[in-house]
Amino acid sequence: MNEPVAATPDPARGFRARFLLLKFFFALFFLVIGGRLVMVQVLDAGKYRALAKKQYEQRFVLPALRGNLVDRNGSVLASNTMFVSFAADPKIVGDDARRVAKAFAQVFGKPGGFYLEKLGGPSGSDRRRFVWMERSVRPEMAKRVAAAHLPGIVMMNEPRRLYHYDHVGGALLGFTDLDHRGISGIELALNADLKGSNGSVTLQRDGLGRSRPSADYPRIEPVNGHDVDLTLDIEYQAVAEEELRRGLEINGADGGLAVLMNPRTGEILALAVAPGVNPNAPGAVDASRARIRAVTDIFEPGSTFKVVTAAAAYEHHLVQPEERFYAERGTMKVTIGRYTRLIKDTHEHDWLTFRESMEVSSNIVMAKVGKVVGPERLYDMARNLGFGVPTGIDIPGEVRGTLKRPSTWSGTTLQTMAYGYEVGVTPVQMLSAYGAVANGGVLVRPYVVRSVRTPSGDVVRSTSPTVIRRVMSVETAKRLTEAFEGVVERGTATDVRIPGVRIAGKTGTARKVIEGSYASGSYTASFVGFFPADDPQVVGVVMMDNPRTRGFYGGVTSGPIFRAIAERIVNSSSRISRSVMTQRDPHRDRVLSVPDVRSMQPEFARQMLASMGLNGRVFGDGAVIAKQIPEAGHPAEPGDVVSLVLGTALKPAANGLVAVPDVRGLSVRRAMTRLVVDEFDVDVRGSGIVRQQMPAAGTAAKAGASVTLVCEPRSMTTAVLY
Amino acid sequence: MNERQRNHIDLPLLTVVLLLMVLSLGVVYSASATWAYEKFGESERLLNSHLLKVVLGIGAIFAGMFIPYRVYRKFTKPVLIGAIVLLATTLVLGGETKGATRWLRLGGFGLQPSELAKFALLFHLCALIAVKGELVRDFKHGYVPMMIWVGAVVGLVMLQPNFSAGAMIAALSFILLFMSRARWSHLLGTAALAIPALAIYAVSAPYRMARIQSFLTGSSGGGHSYQLLQGLIGFANGGLFGVGPGESRQRDLFLPESYGDFVFSIVGEEYGLVGTLFFLFLFLVILLRGFKIARVAKDEFGQLLALAITSTIAFYALVNAGVAIGVLPTTGQPMPFVSYGGSSLLFSSFAVGVLLNISAYTDLHPRLSSTNSVADAEPAVGTPA
Repeated sequence: MNEPVAATPDPARGFRARFLLLKFFFALFFLVIGGRLVMVQVLDAGKYRALAKKQYEQRFVLPALRGNLVDRNGSVLASNTMFVSFAADPKIVGDDARRVAKAFAQVFGKPGGFYLEKLGGPSGSDRRRFVWMERSVRPEMAKRVAAAHLPGIVMMNEPRRLYHYDHVGGALLGFTDLDHRGISGIELALNADLKGSNGSVTLQRDGLGRSRPSADYPRIEPVNGHDVDLTLDIEYQAVAEEELRRGLEINGADGGLAVLMNPRTGEILALAVAPGVNPNAPGAVDASRARIRAVTDIFEPGSTFKVVTAAAAYEHHLVQPEERFYAERGTMKVTIGRYTRLIKDTHEHDWLTFRESMEVSSNIVMAKVGKVVGPERLYDMARNLGFGVPTGIDIPGEVRGTLKRPSTWSGTTLQTMAYGYEVGVTPVQMLSAYGAVANGGVLVRPYVVRSVRTPSGDVVRSTSPTVIRRVMSVETAKRLTEAFEGVVERGTATDVRIPGVRIAGKTGTARKVIEGSYASGSYTASFVGFFPADDPQVVGVVMMDNPRTRGFYGGVTSGPIFRAIAERIVNSSSRISRSVMTQRDPHRDRVLSVPDVRSMQPEFARQMLASMGLNGRVFGDGAVIAKQIPEAGHPAEPGDVVSLVLGTALKPAANGLVAVPDVRGLSVRRAMTRLVVDEFDVDVRGSGIVRQQMPAAGTAAKAGASVTLVCEPRSMTTAVLY
Repeated sequence: MNERQRNHIDLPLLTVVLLLMVLSLGVVYSASATWAYEKFGESERLLNSHLLKVVLGIGAIFAGMFIPYRVYRKFTKPVLIGAIVLLATTLVLGGETKGATRWLRLGGFGLQPSELAKFALLFHLCALIAVKGELVRDFKHGYVPMMIWVGAVVGLVMLQPNFSAGAMIAALSFILLFMSRARWSHLLGTAALAIPALAIYAVSAPYRMARIQSFLTGSSGGGHSYQLLQGLIGFANGGLFGVGPGESRQRDLFLPESYGDFVFSIVGEEYGLVGTLFFLFLFLVILLRGFKIARVAKDEFGQLLALAITSTIAFYALVNAGVAIGVLPTTGQPMPFVSYGGSSLLFSSFAVGVLLNISAYTDLHPRLSSTNSVADAEPAVGTPA
């Protein structure tokens, strides 16, 4: 107080004033906080409580299991497997981040840093509360993580659709999106049956996302989807796809398809589209691949459409098979009114019988016959055979094609349509038209879904073969069949011949229509046919887009694919036998094709070869033929030698005992084929893939002894490899 | 220093503080149980740790209570220098917690040097002001030397970086200087310089900027930050009377820091508006008793010390509540005696002990043997100045 400090009248009063100010400040502070508490806790509480309810209660969907897709023999094509996903709450993991990352790294083989990064590193000021660590991992892997008892790690089950045969049948089966909704193929068409209905449960959850059931809401159980039985035969499907792919490669084609059907019933046995789709990894598939082009795409058929002209001509008794037509030496000019069209044949001919004109596929003769038939009868036959209307197949996206009414035809339409131009058809329309011929003139509706069943096996609904109409008389169908057999025997499709099997069919080659006009050098090559001609079991169509390397005619491009498929089916099917081969005149065969004798017993193979005029020479040790030179399908002359190399160490043992072959890992069907070759009786337990066999491979057993096969569905093995 | 006879301590103050500590056991337990269970597998883990700190805190109260407060005048300077050295050491050596170097780990115990420095600074300022007397009104010899100490401590704390703790210390120093009758011109001049500087510093770090932004947008109708929103949901869940002890839903990991900086939200959820206002009332009692003690303190040092301690505790409580309820940007300051956390609890307890010691040298509660025998019965307020 000694300092001469100016203007401090009364220190105590100054202090009191400032003290008052301080008290006022605190009072204000208390009032603000108190007022705000009243607001938040009472006045505005509803708003925040609504938010709270949202985060405490969560309705969880209990996903229904999607139904299985099953082929005609009971092989499961698509089913569901539980996969597990792991998420972490980095806040809870906290200081254990290193340990957690290490554990994950050990199980999944990724570097620990990868997981540490997800967890926000050793220290993260703004940690998120939820990160995915690993998604959709197999349950076995998941168990190893769960066993480590890691803090802050949450495990969730996620069902995943599994297609047991990968790309085989992929385009037809289609696939589902992440929410298990079918988005293409059968998965889409039968989504309503397959999906079932989800259940739900309302859960109380905490900040971790952990939940417990809420008593306030009832639990609604999910109803699993129905299983769908298809008409498909997965073995045929695999054969068709494999041969199609091989054929496309050989021909350098852009794409193609092969469809097989039972002509009696309309059951689709195989529907292969290339390039295909693997529904297990549909990520990279664009929409055009997912389309089932056998029903969604139309093409100008060319000569295969001659079935319409010929059927109409025969049905109305306008033309006899041996009636002769002048083929104009390869070129004919048609002028009607102001329309002029040049019709050409691939070869020059003078006179051809109608039957021969089918065999060599003369457009000129067919145009002339078309004129005889007339517009109304040609149109009616086309319509009756199912062109221009949907076949009614149960596959999504089917189009009707284009078939112009006679009233809208131009002057030359009659002639050009007679050999397959100015119409647009789908491959399945063409297939069912030939199916009608194979079926004695009766058109049936093609279908792929045999039945829909509940998971417990009760049939919800089933499809039975549907007759659409009789299109032609039995006699006409028979005459057409004979004509088509001639095409294969002597005509444009000799590459399709299989010794011992009567095949009837027709080739087709049409220039592709690209942006409204015919493109030169761009063709659609097709073959449609059925076998055995005397008792048709399978009708098939093979088409190829833009073959390049071996020419573009259907007979040399799509034909061999058809033959390869037919051959393998004949070899594996008991329904279709080669019994007719003995009746054949060997001298008629100037060119033979080497049969597939692999996995046959040498004696049987030698007999078979001998019946075709070929000599089998056996080399090596073993019970069955492992390799043949030349390969199956190779052309041969009578008297040629086919080297047969025996394989495996399964020697026929002494005193009539035979070593049991190893059939583990084979499909039941293949295993049975193999065992029957050695005349074993087969006792099958389960279905799918052979897991165990009794007696074991190599055991000596008597012919006729019973071999028991223990099989498992493919799902389990595929899942393990997955 | 004339030794005078000690009277009774201010029992209402002690009672309120002990009550807060006891209540904190329940609150911290409830708030931390889920987290502790999730983290350590035992829900009592944090409760046990907190219980230990409460016991130590009570010890600290009694330690403060029995040491004559005038003793501190001799030690404030070396302690403050020590605290500054400690701060600097932490800056170099301290482990990172939540992205800031705020802790110095000594044999398993985490010590927040900023807590020590805060009280050391405030104590030293009290001592300085008491020594300087009217000299505090002199710029060069009074104001500047004090500002150097304030600047050193606030600067080091902010460098940690702990902006909000630095700002709190600055604000409390300002209150103290204000009460020391420093010149208005000095104070306002300092404020004019400091506030823009602090503002620039505040927005210089992204996380501070984000917090401030989230506060501003939140209060203008936009979305609140996750933590604040969860805090508000907690308050709202409680309503008028609360959901009941241990019934909090928000503590089930919805509300981060539910046992620390946002513990008041759990109080609001479990005990409702009644509970939060009761807690506020307890702090109001501390404020009123502290101010009363300051007013009747027998010397200027005691008076300033009582003001500093009382203001600190009340200020922290109000700021913590203000953050939790969304009237202040998120800072991360504990609620004294209630939040989980050792350093704050120990230093606050010791400070209250000192306040009680000061009260014992006043005539608030004279011993029976002294002249005024009705002292113990008198109400908390209304004593003639």
